[in-house]
Amino acid sequence: MSLTSVRLTDVVKKQYLYKMKAYSQVFMSLIFIQLLAVLFSMNGVGGMGSSDGNMQIEIKYFSAVLVVVFTMLWGFITAIIITTKAYRNDDFVFVTNRTSSNLSNIVFLLTASIIGGITSMLSTYLIKVIVYYFFSDVSLKSTSVLAAPNEFFLGSFSTSLYIFLFCALGYLFGTLVQINKAFAVLIPAAFFGGLIIDGLRGNEGVIAKGFNFFFMEPSLTVFIIKVIVTAGLLISGTFALSNRMEVRS
Amino acid sequence: MTVIECRGLTKVYGGAKALNNLSCKIEENKITGLIGRNGAGKTTLLKIIAGYLKETSGELNVFSENPFNNLLVSANVIFIHDQMNLPTSLNLKEILDTAASFYEKWDHDLANRLLEYFSLNPLQHHNGLSKGMKSTFNAILGLAARVPLTLFDEPTSGMDAAVRKDFYRALLKDYLAHPRTIIISSHHLNEIEDLLEDILLMKDGKELLHLPVADLKEWAIGLQGKTSVINEWTRNKEVIYTKSIGLDQSYVAVRNDFSEVEWQKARVAGLELTPVTSSDLCVYLTSKTKGGIDDVFN
Repeated sequence: MSLTSVRLTDVVKKQYLYKMKAYSQVFMSLIFIQLLAVLFSMNGVGGMGSSDGNMQIEIKYFSAVLVVVFTMLWGFITAIIITTKAYRNDDFVFVTNRTSSNLSNIVFLLTASIIGGITSMLSTYLIKVIVYYFFSDVSLKSTSVLAAPNEFFLGSFSTSLYIFLFCALGYLFGTLVQINKAFAVLIPAAFFGGLIIDGLRGNEGVIAKGFNFFFMEPSLTVFIIKVIVTAGLLISGTFALSNRMEVRS
Repeated sequence: MTVIECRGLTKVYGGAKALNNLSCKIEENKITGLIGRNGAGKTTLLKIIAGYLKETSGELNVFSENPFNNLLVSANVIFIHDQMNLPTSLNLKEILDTAASFYEKWDHDLANRLLEYFSLNPLQHHNGLSKGMKSTFNAILGLAARVPLTLFDEPTSGMDAAVRKDFYRALLKDYLAHPRTIIISSHHLNEIEDLLEDILLMKDGKELLHLPVADLKEWAIGLQGKTSVINEWTRNKEVIYTKSIGLDQSYVAVRNDFSEVEWQKARVAGLELTPVTSSDLCVYLTSKTKGGIDDVFN
């Protein structure tokens, strides 16, 4: 019997198509989590109020920022989930090696990030509609669907990048946990420990600086470079770590 | 052509050696039975061949390449076992479609006909199947993939007698139509004996015997008679198994290196000579003690 020769790119493509079908629950959870975020947004994401005896003014701001935050969290969790045994070992039923499995996961996460980015930008319109019908005295920034297409596409693009950054981080964490279960405790402990120390010292700590590094960047180009380089580093770290991992059931 | 070649293969799991300096060769287009007791290292060997695990030391070549992290080996090998992780979100039909996209020589028609024959509902999900039905479905995957090297690890676990029989027949028919290298590990040697060409007997992570099934049947012989006579006859022989029957009778299995003349003499001395079946022989050879479970109670 003659041997079948395969190319890495073909296998990655097949795995990607297969994952888009097999991991469809991921998108169900996206819909659920975004609806939940829209619901929470109804409380307003910011506001102010003042009163002077017989007059009271209350101002509330509504925006999709909560949806974006929830979607980033969703990306992080999704990436962790696809590194667990139930998902990782699926690949090995069919044709794969560790590189193709990782590559197809990354392409899948990238797709998920783009879908998450676009839908969270679109949720702005849902929030506008709900606010328009259920709240009195509203001032909508714009009522047309694509008043500023550039703003919409730019928003979707950068939101997708943020989500992908969290995916890459989750993918590395998930892989670390698969290598040693101790990381499941160590990583959250280090994160929350860092937050507490930051708080105690009262000045900007590592975590706050890391946050500002990505979220306070005014230049789009610099931001894109930052995200791509960081995600690239995280992903190549994952590749190196998982390349010798065995399949155990 | 040699499909699998290993030299001094060792795999250590947490201090214990699952494979201990194993060396063997498996030739192309043969059905080999991988036989051994629980924990002999059968599954570990298959997992290393399939590229799931990495060997601790030694050398292994599948199609002249190391199987770990190897796309060529992965595309040409399918490993069917009872803990297969199939995607839970896909139904059986979708799993078959996915397999069809991955394996170039996949026979979709055969897969569908087998699915229908074994009355598996294509719209059902794999984790909703019973243990035997899961095994049946996995076996269908293994048959329809038509890859040059097919590994079955306990393919019939959970299947009922009728399905087991059908599976063996299907395997043989498909093998005759499309010859390929097949390795089956099983506890039921008597069931698969007729299917196999070669037997690889493993014990404690090592190769104990690797020979054609026909030779295995004549490898040993059973002697039964008075204990004193038996003891005299087996003094210089390789005794594989002894069992006492009644007060002064015993049964002994020995390596069959008797000449025709010796056979005659043994019969005259009052010994009863019987062939040892392959499955009994494998049990005798792989047991830790000569007397088996009886030794525990003596």
